[in-house]
Amino acid sequence: MSSYIISVTAADRVGIVYSVTGALLDLGGNVLELSQTVMRGYFTIILEAEFASPRTREQIIEAVHERGKRFDLQVQVTEVKDGREPAQAAAGERFILTVLGDDSPGIVHSIAGSLAAHGANIVDLHARVDGQRFSLVMEALIPHDLTPAAIRSELERYGRAHKLEAFVQHEDIFAATTEPSPVRIAAAARSQGESLASH
Amino acid sequence: MHRTEDVLATLSMIRQHKLDVRTVTMGIDLAPCASPDVTVLCDRIRSRLVQYAGRLRAVCREVEGRYGIPIVNRRIAVSPVGRVAAGHKTEGLLAVAKTLDAVAAEVEVDLVGGFTALVQKGWTESERRLIAALPEVLSTTKRVCSSVNVGSTAAGINMDAVAALGHVLKETAERTKDHDGFGCAKIVIFGNATNDNPFMAGAFHGQGETDCVINIGVSGPGVVKAAVEDLVAHAPTRPTLGDIAEEIKSTAFRVTRVGELIGREVAARLGVAFGIVDLSLAPTPQVGDSVGEILQAMGVSRLGGPGSTAALALLNDAVKKGGSFASSSVGGLSGAFVAVSEDAALARAVEAGDLTLAKLEAMTAVCSVGLDMIAVPGDVDAETLSALIADEVAIGVINHKTTAVRVIPVPGKKAGERAVFGGLFGEMDILPIHAAGGSAEFVRHGGRIPAPLSSLRN
Repeated sequence: MSSYIISVTAADRVGIVYSVTGALLDLGGNVLELSQTVMRGYFTIILEAEFASPRTREQIIEAVHERGKRFDLQVQVTEVKDGREPAQAAAGERFILTVLGDDSPGIVHSIAGSLAAHGANIVDLHARVDGQRFSLVMEALIPHDLTPAAIRSELERYGRAHKLEAFVQHEDIFAATTEPSPVRIAAAARSQGESLASH
Repeated sequence: MHRTEDVLATLSMIRQHKLDVRTVTMGIDLAPCASPDVTVLCDRIRSRLVQYAGRLRAVCREVEGRYGIPIVNRRIAVSPVGRVAAGHKTEGLLAVAKTLDAVAAEVEVDLVGGFTALVQKGWTESERRLIAALPEVLSTTKRVCSSVNVGSTAAGINMDAVAALGHVLKETAERTKDHDGFGCAKIVIFGNATNDNPFMAGAFHGQGETDCVINIGVSGPGVVKAAVEDLVAHAPTRPTLGDIAEEIKSTAFRVTRVGELIGREVAARLGVAFGIVDLSLAPTPQVGDSVGEILQAMGVSRLGGPGSTAALALLNDAVKKGGSFASSSVGGLSGAFVAVSEDAALARAVEAGDLTLAKLEAMTAVCSVGLDMIAVPGDVDAETLSALIADEVAIGVINHKTTAVRVIPVPGKKAGERAVFGGLFGEMDILPIHAAGGSAEFVRHGGRIPAPLSSLRN
């Protein structure tokens, strides 16, 4: 059994997913996970596929290109080695960081640098520019020993210098306001209250 | 991943449309503090309030930072002092009021409610003394708020208490005349008072509650107004009133959820019970944070004109429906406040002569809470004020709902002159009372207006 991470990019057209997955099926591949998006007219897909019989990287690239030649696909294939490192356990609480304001080069880079310096891990990120208006929404794991205020004050300092507003909010506020499921609060809050109540 | 649009929509409610938690109100049972010795009583009250509320400020700050939601006020509501201090003379009641005022400052809450008497069927000697002491309490303390429940659907209306309260309002206003009678802004006279209302001045920790509870008052007039305006402006065809009601419901859902999240988190961090979310739309004098502006967004351009009551009824009902779906912990008053001086659009409608006391009374039949923050001429007689109270309480008693009166006779000022209370209490032109001065004989009969029949309800 061999397994590959495959990414495909092209100008967006109807039928690309059908074409790519068809090529993999022809090779006896089975898709384990897949994510696809269209950004500013460009289609991107990233997936993991495993193959019952051995396949080479070159075979996969050729098959995807051949079946999708009318789409002018850019294909990258990386083999997943045996004994891959398990994903690192998520450390920290999930916060939503939102940055809004005037666009200028380097915003994402600077914010990512601040987070990395604090050990905050970005787990999802979407940013775009409309006209001169920049917006970024990011999910990040903020370590337990770091307060959101620390991240917020650093982002605000950066924002003041670049005409940006920055917000750091626990994800539960967005779950509460958009999902009909019961309101949830972090277990940490409950344990904190219990310890106080016992005094 | 949360959808970017959802994140930005929630953020927009907070940043642009003034969604906030108006109050985190900690209810504290003071029954265990009772003592015939006033010093012991006050010491016990102080230590119990500090025990529970000592960390309230710090925890609210933490939660505010965690979720990025402003918590505008922290407050305490205690058991009705009329019962806790039963048997004490006026001096003892005043000592309790001073203690509450001092501890509120110590634990950094802006108001403490519960200097309260529940006298809908009758009053004890202590409760009679408490009501008599109100002008002194309201004029010499800063943070103490009072409420008196004078009627209920089950008991009728205690007209002896109503008669006394007309004089209390007059004297309280006179004692605070340098501030346009502001002392009267700290007392609410109820019919069918609720035990878990977090909003001041009428909050108290009622019967059936646990030792300590966190109740939340959210506020989102600006959010609801923005949602209605957006629907009206961008719907492909003119939205029906049913469409508007649906829009308000879904907005109320979001607002209520914010309150429940904050309430549960604060309660959990303090190790106390979470009580209720009161989803009342509470205005502030800021433009864009007004219940009146919601009615205008619905198409009633002259507030107080025909259509105002129907629009308010739609709004109030839709808010309740959205909130009830959002949380099974909805309580308190939960409706739309028409607090005139605190609502810039309503205050402007008074200036324009569109909004009258009579129309406000009609509007209170379909919303919460009642004649709220209304300045009236300072030369009004006590019996007219009492009759005004009786009218409003009767609406609640007959219709099985909470109604209340918070009117301020402004000493030395007449109808049309400006009354200024400041801050969140706002300002307004003084409203005339039509046909004042002709109700004294009715009020002086005293006694009790009997409880209403519960059948034959037309």
